Parts: sequence; structure tokens; C-alpha cells
Amino acid sequence: MNDEISFYKKPRVLLVLLVLLGSILVMTVSYKNGEINVGSNLNYGIDIQGGSWLQLQLQGAIAQVTADEAKIIQSEFIKLLNDPTIKIEETTYNSITFTTSKQTTQKTIDNFGFGKATITQAPDGGTRISLATNREFAIQRYLENNLKAEIVRIPGNQLTFEIRKTVTEDELNILLKPVDGRVIPPFTVGVSAQTRDETKKILETKLNSLGLKEIPIRTIGNNYLLIDLAGVDINTARDIASKPGKFEIRIQVTGNETEHVLYGTDITPGLPEKDKDVWGVSFVLSEAGAAALRDAAIQYGAVTAPSSHNLIMTLDENVVFDAPLSPDLARNIQSVPVKNLVATTGAGDEGQQKANQLQIHLRAGALPVKVDVLGAGQVSAELGSKFKSQVLIAGIIALILVAIVVSLRYKQPNIVIPMLATSFSEVIMILGFTTLVGFQLDLPTITGIIAVIGTGIDHLIIITDEVLAGGAMPPDKVYKSRLTKAFTIIFSAAATVLVAMSPLLIMGFGALRGFAVITIVGVLIGVFIARPAYAEVIQSMLVEDTSKKFAEDD
Amino acid sequence: MNLINEKVIDSYVKNFNFKQMLIYPVILLIVSLLILAYTSFFVQGTITDPGSPVELGMEFQGGMAMIFDSTKTPDQLKQDFSAYPVIQARGYGGDRKLVQFGPMTDSALTEVTDKINSEYTNVEIRQMGEVVSKSLQGQALKAILFSFLGMAIVVFLIFKTFVPSVAVVVSAFADIAFALAMMDVFGIALSMGTVAALLMLIGYSVDTDILLTTRLLKRKGELNDKIKDAMKTGMTMTITTLAALTALFLVSSGSYLFSSFTRIDIIRDVSIVLIFGLIADIINTWMTNLGILKWYMEKYKPSEKRIETPKKRRQAT
Repeated sequence: MNDEISFYKKPRVLLVLLVLLGSILVMTVSYKNGEINVGSNLNYGIDIQGGSWLQLQLQGAIAQVTADEAKIIQSEFIKLLNDPTIKIEETTYNSITFTTSKQTTQKTIDNFGFGKATITQAPDGGTRISLATNREFAIQRYLENNLKAEIVRIPGNQLTFEIRKTVTEDELNILLKPVDGRVIPPFTVGVSAQTRDETKKILETKLNSLGLKEIPIRTIGNNYLLIDLAGVDINTARDIASKPGKFEIRIQVTGNETEHVLYGTDITPGLPEKDKDVWGVSFVLSEAGAAALRDAAIQYGAVTAPSSHNLIMTLDENVVFDAPLSPDLARNIQSVPVKNLVATTGAGDEGQQKANQLQIHLRAGALPVKVDVLGAGQVSAELGSKFKSQVLIAGIIALILVAIVVSLRYKQPNIVIPMLATSFSEVIMILGFTTLVGFQLDLPTITGIIAVIGTGIDHLIIITDEVLAGGAMPPDKVYKSRLTKAFTIIFSAAATVLVAMSPLLIMGFGALRGFAVITIVGVLIGVFIARPAYAEVIQSMLVEDTSKKFAEDD
Repeated sequence: MNLINEKVIDSYVKNFNFKQMLIYPVILLIVSLLILAYTSFFVQGTITDPGSPVELGMEFQGGMAMIFDSTKTPDQLKQDFSAYPVIQARGYGGDRKLVQFGPMTDSALTEVTDKINSEYTNVEIRQMGEVVSKSLQGQALKAILFSFLGMAIVVFLIFKTFVPSVAVVVSAFADIAFALAMMDVFGIALSMGTVAALLMLIGYSVDTDILLTTRLLKRKGELNDKIKDAMKTGMTMTITTLAALTALFLVSSGSYLFSSFTRIDIIRDVSIVLIFGLIADIINTWMTNLGILKWYMEKYKPSEKRIETPKKRRQAT
């Protein structure tokens, strides 16, 4: 007896105590701005603290495509110049030369955006056009024109594009077929990590500017965003998240036909203002934006006939503003790009309301891709706090029942108490871990913790029965071999749980990821830290007890 | 009071041969599979176009559900929301009511949300896009499949012998089949919670099987003694877990214990599925798995049976 080390001096027990202390510190002490604060650092999920959540999908696809650039130029210019006789003369790696029977100017061709043109007279009376372009650029323009979407080249990858619109591989293949093109698999639904992060950042700024500080936006894969909005109801959440839409200014060509002028990125919105009873919203265009507006106004004739070439502002493809250039502006814009503009919305209260609305829309511009609300939810704050207290009660009742059951089975406090203490320490360690990595404690996560504790108790029962073989502590050597056997079973059982839970780590957009992560972490903490310590504790606890017993038996 | 009645275990181990052990679980498995087939062919689908063997919850079908406190009857609520596409309205434990809506326009959505948020208390709203939920369906199925396969591989790696490994995997399969069948019987839909519970069950239900198989294959001693010891440990494990799960289920089910309690779906789903699974696990570990192992050991390792206990075994308390 005397040469026995007290259980609290054994290395594994010391490790548990150390980790426990660390966990409690992490959970209760925080350091901010040079001050040490004591208080709960637990990070509760929306379903417990109350608020709403949104799952957003970023619309887009990434594809490597190939196509014949000469065919692209031919088919596109047949449409653009309305001339079926277009003939490709020569294709080099950086230029394409073709002839058309129509008369045209360099400016017209340049404006089509397929590359800088050099124009000469063709021998047979038509025009010979040499375009400085290449395959990658031609494909990009082709996709832009035909998908009516923004196409971004992915740097570093040959002929790989990010299509900022929902499109399927089949649709893309059908589109590319006439120009001898196709998608080279793999075709990925989603956007690039860069675009995703850009979108996330813009959303964060928008939400922050609306007074919602520190909104955690989590990204899952390259095309999902999860937004948690504490203390906000679901309608407000939907509004703020869907308002930062894609803002675009288009110009009317003829009738219903419109052409792109610029995106929200080129706009800095001002405030609603009143000028001689007429309400409007001022906004400032960037250099490039002003130039684009001027070019479009000239190209489509808005300068000369503003009333038949309205400027149309759309947000997520919904028209939010539709009006002609003012005659003054139309005259000015011809000579110099105009950067400061006012969109007028009318007189009176109605005009003011419209101006306010338009200003929100203008401010909301600039998301690189369109987002769809996939799922949403709301838990009111009172319900959340109800959940929280109820979960706590559930945990306590479960613990009491477990205590009763193991007491009935083992009847010895020096088995039952270490057992429950071990379980409890596992809970603290898991909570410490979640705080450390900033993991949210939501209902699925808490369910996971409870599940881990369930398996944990089972493992403690295995250890107890194995080493004690019914209540008596064997000599050290036998004890060690029995412990090894116990841990063989425990490790096997833990391995099956880990493997069974792992599909959840990659499944979906993480609805159950918290549950899976916590189960896996909990099982690891259990088998490597807590349960070995339990084995050491009961060995020490029971040596005393059994020696008494043996004495009585004798 | 003793948790484990050793006399019952004694007489069970002594009097049941492997055939008697296997007959009940086989019947249970067949009944479970029949229930699942019936649901698939006649409830969720048709003979020519079979559906899911369990009812799919909103998360896997898409739609919008609003849960809130109201003393109105479901029919009154249907009346109240008649301007919107109500799919169903029902009680949700105590004064809680659930109203499920079909697809509607954005403005209708905003309107009905505002109405509920302003008129009712303790509101919970869940909305799931149809496309996503369909893809989630497939992912859930895959997750369950991979989870089961992964578990089977681990079991084979642990025991490295065919029959004992198959016994464990078959027992786990029967547990899951029973849990799914009970979901059908009690009208519990497949949700995020129940999927999580099924995966948990896949990993968890083999605990007692691993215990049993390890004790029987890797230990010396008289077979029936080893079985009895394993049963004592295993039953303690399962009863402990069942006790905890029952507490969770009751507290998360709403106003059964205290009237102020409200239903917490995810905990309720997880606990009820695990309860079903563990009840089946008692049968499948100590009848299916044990039956197969007994048959295997009597056939292939007859010497085991005759080895006398090397030392006097200590009596268990």
C-alpha cells in the first residue's frame, strides 16, 4: 500500500487535471484590449441565443472549355454585323483576320469587344478586318454574349472560366457545339474561392454598415455561405442578405432590347435629395463607369434621342429604375464623360419613398455573383432561452439516471464517483475545445456532446468490468494485461463510431457537421485522455478497498 | 436491488441453443423489412415506383414550417392562414402548433412571416429550398451507406475472421432495420436529427457486439462463463445508455414532465431513434450475434468448450 502513488499524482490523471484546468480557463477568462475579463466565453448558436440564419448559394460554375476561335469570330460577327458572308482569312495565335461585305468603322468593331481592330479595304469592295485577339479572349466574349453573364478567366489555368450564372454542363456543351467547342471535364458547380471570399467580404461590409456587428458568415465549400444573425427576425435577415444583389445599369437599344452599360461596382451612391420639389438620388460613377456610360450613350444614340433610349437600372435582373437621360445631360455627355448623376424619382411623398428605395438598391450593388437563399430559419430569443434551460435540465436528469443505474450495478462509491467524475470531466474538456476553436454550441452540437457522454459511460463500464472481474482488484501485472484487453475493446468501439460519423463531415452544407465534429472530438478526448485516467483512478481507489475485503475474507 | 439479474442470464445461457437464439431475431428482422417494404411500395410510393422506406421530413422535401404557441385548433389555424398555401396544420405537443406551407411568392412569404411573428409567441421557422433538400436526400442516403460500409470494414479489420465479423455486421444491420421500421410505425420522419441518430447507431450498436466477440474469441475460459460475463457488462452498458436516452426523450418531447417544456426536435429525434436501435441491439447482440458465434465456436473451435477455468473465478457482486 505504501509504495502506491496517490492517484492524483499519476501522469494520466495529472494530464486530465491539466486539460480540465485549461478548459475551464478557456471557458471563463478572456483577454481583450489589455484587460482580463472573467465570464462565460461559450459561443451559443442561433437556435439557442435566438435570431435567424440563412444558407446562401452563390450562383456560378467553373469550367475548362475549348472552342475554335475562328468559328467564334465568324458566327458572332455574322450576328453583330448582320452579314452572312463573313469569311475568315487568317488565324494566328494572337490575331484573326476576316472580311465582310459591309462597310464598317474601326470604332464599331472595337465596341463589340472582341479585340482591337485594324481595318483595310478588301480587294472586292468589302472590308477586311484584322482583330487582335486570341482563343481565350474569343471564348470569354462568346460565353459572355451568349450566356448574358459575367465570365471571368481563372488565372493560371488554361482556358478555364468562372461563369457567374447558374449553368449546367449540358447547356454549356450545346452552346459551344456550333463553334467546335466543348467542356473539358471536370465541370464544377460553384465559384472560385476568391470570388466566394469577395462576396463574403462585401456581404460582411453591408451587414456591418447596417449596424449588425460581428456577424459570423461561414463558408462551406466554394458555393455556400451560412449567415447567422443574432437577434434578428427572419424577414429582416432575408431582406438584408438578399438586398445586396447584383446591380446593373443597362441602356435601351430598341423596344425591349437592352445592352449592358456598367455594374454596381462602378457606382458610389449618394443620398436622396430634393431639387425644386422633385426627388432623386445622386450617385457618382467611377472613371471607367463614366466612360462606359458615355460610350453607350453615343453608340446607341441616346445622345441624340434620349427619350427612346432609356437608362434602366436593375437589381438581380429586376428593373428598379427606368428613365431617359435628361436632355441637358444627353448634350453634355457627348463632349465629356459625366461622373456625377442624379436619378430622379418624382415629386411628393411618393417620389421621396421611391428615392429612399432606390438609394437602398444603389447601395446594395456590387456583389460579384448572384446569391440564392437555399434555406432559412428563425428561433425567437425567448424560445432559444427555453431550449437552453431545457437542454440543461435534460442533461442533469440524464446524468442522475445514469448515476442511479451505475450505482445499482456497482454499489461502490469509489467506482461510481470516479465514473461520473470522468464523464463530467469529458463534458468540460469538450466544452473547452469548442470555446478554444470558436465552435458554436447549437442544439445539434449539444446533442453530439450528450451522445459522446453516453458512449463514454459505456467505455468506463467496459474498463471497470474488465479489470475488476466483478469487484476485486487483481495484482498489478494482471491488472495491466486486463487493462490492455479493455482498451482493445474500447479502441475498436471508438474506431467504429469515428468511421460511422465521418460521412457527416463532408455531407451537405454542414447542418450536422457540428454534431459530427463534436462526436469525433469527444470520442478522441475520451479514449486518449479521460478514460485512461479513469483506469488509473479506480486502480488506486480499489486497492484500498480490496485489501480490506481480502482481510475480511481471510 | 440489482441491476442485472444473474439468474435470468444463467438460465438463458444454459437453456438456449443457437437455433433458439436465432429464431426470434430472424422473425424480427423479417417483420422490420416487411414494414419498410410496405412503406416503400404502398405509403411513400407504388409497386412500380417505390418510394423511400421512411417518411421524408421537411429537410429532405423542401418547404416551410412555422412552429409557435397557440391555443387554437389546427382547423382554426388552417382557417386563419387560408390566404396562404397551407399544406398541413397540426398539434406539436402541448400548446405548440406546426403549420406547414407550400411554395409561395416572396411577398406572401414576408407577409405570413410577419403575421406569425407579430401574432404568436415562441416562434420557430424553418425553410428549406426544394432543390437543396432533394440533393440532401441523396447525400443522406450516401452518408448512411458509407457509414455502414466503413463500420463493416473496421469490424473486419478488428476481427480478421469471416464469420464473427459477419455476425457483428448482420446484428448492426438488423438494429438499423428495426429502428427504421419503428420510425414508420410511430410516424417519425427522416430528418437531420434522425439521420444523425442512424449514423450514431451504426457506430454505437456494434459496441456491445465488439465486447461480446472479443471476450469470446480472444479470451480463455469456459464458453458459457465468458458469455455470462460479457452479458453482464453489455447489459449494463445498454441499460445505462437507455436510461440517459429516455431522460432526453421525455424532456425534449414537450409537456410530458413539466408543462413549461417545449419540444426540441433534434434531441427528440436523436433520442427516440437511438432508443429503438438499442432495444433492437439487446436482441441482436445477445441472440443474433451470440447465436451465430455460438454456432461458429461449437463447429470450428470445439476445444474451447472443454478448457477448464484455470483459476477459481471470483464471484461477481
